[in-house]
Amino acid sequence: MSELYATAIFLFVLFALLGSSVWIGLALMGVAWVGMELFTSRPAGDAMITTIWTGASSWTLTALPLFIWMGEILYRTRLSEDMFRGLVPWMRWLPGGLLHTNIAGCTIFAAVSGSSAATLTTVGKMSIPELRKRGYPEHMIIGTLAGAATLGLMIPPSLTLIVYGVAINESITKLFMAGIIPGLVLAGLFTLYIFGWHFFSKGQRPDPEPHMSFGTMINESKFLIPVLMLVTVVIGSMYMGFATATEAAAVGVIGSLCLAAMQRSLNWGTFSASLMGATRTSAMIALILMGASFLSLAMGFTGLPRALAAWIDEMQLSPVVLIAALTIFYVVLGMFLDGISSVVLTMAIVEPMIRQAGIDVIWFGIFIVVVVEMAQVTPPIGFNLFVLQGMTKHEISYISKTALPMVGLMMLMIVILVAWPELATWLPDNIRKGP
Amino acid sequence: MRDWQNYLGLPLWVWLFVMPAALAALCLFQREKMGRILRPLWRILDKVYFASGVVAACFMVMILLLIVAQMIARWSGWVFPGSTEYAGYSMAATSFFALAHALTRGAHIRVSILLNINNFFKFWLDGFAMLIAAVTATYFARYAIKTNFMSEMLNDRTQGQDFVPEAVLTFFQMFATAPWNWGTLWANSESGWVYTPMWLPQLPMSIGSILLAIAVWDYLTRLLVNRETSIIGEAVE
Repeated sequence: MSELYATAIFLFVLFALLGSSVWIGLALMGVAWVGMELFTSRPAGDAMITTIWTGASSWTLTALPLFIWMGEILYRTRLSEDMFRGLVPWMRWLPGGLLHTNIAGCTIFAAVSGSSAATLTTVGKMSIPELRKRGYPEHMIIGTLAGAATLGLMIPPSLTLIVYGVAINESITKLFMAGIIPGLVLAGLFTLYIFGWHFFSKGQRPDPEPHMSFGTMINESKFLIPVLMLVTVVIGSMYMGFATATEAAAVGVIGSLCLAAMQRSLNWGTFSASLMGATRTSAMIALILMGASFLSLAMGFTGLPRALAAWIDEMQLSPVVLIAALTIFYVVLGMFLDGISSVVLTMAIVEPMIRQAGIDVIWFGIFIVVVVEMAQVTPPIGFNLFVLQGMTKHEISYISKTALPMVGLMMLMIVILVAWPELATWLPDNIRKGP
Repeated sequence: MRDWQNYLGLPLWVWLFVMPAALAALCLFQREKMGRILRPLWRILDKVYFASGVVAACFMVMILLLIVAQMIARWSGWVFPGSTEYAGYSMAATSFFALAHALTRGAHIRVSILLNINNFFKFWLDGFAMLIAAVTATYFARYAIKTNFMSEMLNDRTQGQDFVPEAVLTFFQMFATAPWNWGTLWANSESGWVYTPMWLPQLPMSIGSILLAIAVWDYLTRLLVNRETSIIGEAVE
């Protein structure tokens, strides 16, 4: 059988298995097995387990369950109420008013959680009813929330970046640091959008907030202190070089347990629920990673990555054109796959390509996160859309329409990243060395 | 089909793939009868999956404790040899033990776009997907066990600086030994610590992947008997 036929069969099986709703991790394993049988005479099963075992028992990966657990604990505390109360005094003055609590709340929660869905539910369960009560237009509440919640993927800790780092064998701490500034810039873009809405659609503005004395303001904002301390400790310890990503995650888990205990929302029920929830989510990601590690082994034998990299080299594509092409590719892929799956599925092919084109892999990690963020809010499959549908009972089509401006802003973010790559690369190059 | 030796007169792949598939087919055609037979088994298996999830959760706490211990050791200038290896083993254990539990709670993700066309299509596509998944998971489990046995036979030891007490090894070897030989087993066991043999941390891989395979076949039979999926996803997370 010629190489080309084999490749065609391989890709067909890949899409057939994924499309027929086999669980993604197992589908990747199945495809990889087909690839091994087609392209090499190596015993597939033994190679499979060796690869999977090495990947599954790696030390780098241990940051993943701990960060998931940390998010699960905080999700079960009264943090969302506290954050809303603490943010209101500061946001009520801004043009656009309390809509900014969506952005600021998501930014803060993103700094303690690695998942977009968790950020969305935590912030949304407080801000949606409160903003509705105050008469903000529905499309702004939902749109800004859907967009801002994707910051959970970008601002460290970020599960997508951990998975990316494990897939290409890069330092997770560096990737985390790279995510901070672009995350804040993106949050800034969302904020500007709310300013713009405030000035351009005057008719939609709700009544201004009642007066609040300075004393009350200070008193209310004390609710923000615990979570801000947690953010400082987790991100600061990584930045200052005191702790690796995994150690920062462990500190984060203990910190959030303390925070929950302080709020008196820590009991056996919430503790075990958070632990079991985290175990399930981490097993879900682990299964995908197992499938992906076997698939990248098989992918290596197909020669597809090398051929594509050589082809890119031959075409003399400029990095900008390559990035544009990859953006479209990932947006299309993101319509059907979730972020983590589309990262692990493609890295075996894309990594040699970007290295060949001379693109910085840390920068590329941030780029891929922005694209994955877009995928979270674009139909037909967008995770945030489903979560929001569950929370607000709106149609998916309505929610995705309200989130459309945010997708535009994320596109703008990609342009900004291409124009000023230092946004992503400056901070990781300047991490302090540990004591 | 190399590598699939005979077992009780039939090739191994017949036992692993054909037999469960035949069981699933029985469930499809003899719904009522198979439902009656299998229901008590389902109840037991649900408990098993949950128990393995709890074990996984314990290993997750173990990761946390190991990392905290490592940090304390580093700050106070002690050495904690092999801490990264132990954490890695715990990571593998928490992932593998939780696989089946995550499956039963609908935590594993899939591309569900074609599943939402209509109910008839959904049933058949779901059944097909689960059959593929079951075969893959069984293949996975079969080779996980083989690798586990090979590690034991070749006496494969860790590359790192991690040790386990020999008593622990002897304890696990008891399961692979006839009870009347336990006396000799313990008599030959030393009391010191040895480099971790790879079969020990690989045990969770074997157990977890077997449970995953059983769980997928199990839920396939439930789907075929009940004519609707028994996997109830909790709130998306």
